[in-house]
Order: sequence, then structure tokens, then C-alpha cells
Amino acid sequence: MENEMTLSFAAISENEALARMTLTFFVAALDPTLEEISEYKTVISEAVTNAIIHGYDEDRSGIVRVHAALDGREVTVTISDEGGGIENVEEAMQPMYTSKPERERSGMGFTIMESFTDSLSVDSSNGGGTIVTFKKKFSPVQETCSSVG
Amino acid sequence: MAESCRISTTFVEYKDSGKRPLNYGPKGGIHMNQITLTSGGIVIVRPAGELDHHTADSIKREVSRLIFGGKAAAVIWDLGSLQFMDSAGIGLILGRMRDLGAVEGGTVILNPSPTMKKMFELSGLGSHLLEGTVEDAIKRLGGILHGK
Repeated sequence: MENEMTLSFAAISENEALARMTLTFFVAALDPTLEEISEYKTVISEAVTNAIIHGYDEDRSGIVRVHAALDGREVTVTISDEGGGIENVEEAMQPMYTSKPERERSGMGFTIMESFTDSLSVDSSNGGGTIVTFKKKFSPVQETCSSVG
Repeated sequence: MAESCRISTTFVEYKDSGKRPLNYGPKGGIHMNQITLTSGGIVIVRPAGELDHHTADSIKREVSRLIFGGKAAAVIWDLGSLQFMDSAGIGLILGRMRDLGAVEGGTVILNPSPTMKKMFELSGLGSHLLEGTVEDAIKRLGGILHGK
């Protein structure tokens, strides 16, 4: 492991941007493409939003924890909460499934996360919190500026 | 990286305006969401900055108000200046499509980034995507609205 970080914050929606920004800076030295960084930010946003809305039901006293580790060009990120948990993970991961249709959630969070990561695991039990772990590998830096002259 | 270029631009703009540089509020600073209504009853929404669960609500309220007030029969989501969007954006657009269902209105999603485009396609909204100008989008909606 070449670098690692831990961040914990209160379960309030303003902190979704904080998590995205911090984890973006964490991988900045790898010089990812704009599309890679945008996909990575989306996955973080989905997992953190899930922890705040579904884990803690927006109870501001809840704490969301984020851990990230870099190994070469691969980052492993774990986002965990100690909230309500997911009763049926398999059902929650179905496209368009949402437990809160009145809150205008699209039900696409897990589908998008799976699509934008190299691996994704969700460990949850009813009342026992949720741990989402994903890995994303960034492509090697391409030499685009050849020396002139 | 382009990302860091944007941050420095922000600071330059703020130095002149005297405002605070890190204002991410949906109603202030440089990340101003624009919502306009054309005389033809089309709402043009130009979200700016980052669209997530935290920032989607104010747009939702305003666009729903225009639809249910009988003032709008179609929505153009012009995403060209949006820097980031997660599935809250999908929920926002799907929700307004449900609102428009009552008036049989149309939806066009204009110029999303490649990442946003993938998310819309995964969500079954691929047929609403368009690369082009607002005029192109209005033209497409003209067909939808008159063809109903």
C-alpha cells in the first residue's frame, strides 16, 4: 500500500461534496482522465448519499466513515455507516429499486456504481449498518506532449 | 488538469466581485442554476456546478411549480455547464417527466458529459439525449408537442 486516508463526517447532505472533493484530491497524483475522475466521484457520491439517506435517514448525529488506499494505479475505497442497514441487499441492487420512492430517488445508485467500478461489494444487515467497498483502476498516463524541435 | 484550472478561475472571479470563493449554494455565487420559461411553454433548465441530492431540491420545486401551474408543457435540461451529476439528477429528471405526464409534455436532455450520458443510457433515458443547441432542442420538442 502506497498511501491511505480516513475521513469521517456527520450524516448531512452538505458533506456529500466534501467526500467527493477529498477523495478526488487523494487520487490526483495519478493524473486520471476527466472521465475516470468523474465516474469515481459519482460512485463516491452514490455511496455517501446512501449512507446519509438510507443508513441514517438523515439523522445528523450519524457518522459516515470513508477509508481509501492506493496501490499502484488502483484505489480501494470503503464507505461505511452504522445506520439502519439494508434488509435485502440483492433486492436493493436491482435497477430502479428504491425503498424511498417519495424521496425521488431514481433507484439507479447501485447499477451506476457497478458500471463505474472494477469491483463492488455491499455488506449490510438489518440494523447493523452498511459497508460498501469498491475498487477502481486508473489507466496509465499517455504521453501526449512530445518534445518539440 | 482542467479541474484545477477551473478552481483558479473561480478565485479570480471572486477577487473582483468581493464574494466568498467557496459558495456552493444552489442559489448563489458562480454556480447559479438558471431556469427560464419560453413564451411557447418550454422550461429551459441550466444547472451549474454540482448536482447532487443536496442541490436537486430547489430545481425540483421551481420546475414542478411551472408545470403544475399550467405554464409549461416541456422541459429542456441543458447540462452543458454542469460539472458533476450523480443519480439525484436522474431522479430529478424522471420526477419531472412524471409531472409532465399529466400534460403529455416532452423532455430533452441536452449536451450531457460522457459520464452523465452513460448514466442516462443505463436509466433508459437514452432516447431523450441530444447534442446541439437549445434551438435544436426546441425544434425536436416542436415535433413532439405538435405530433401528440
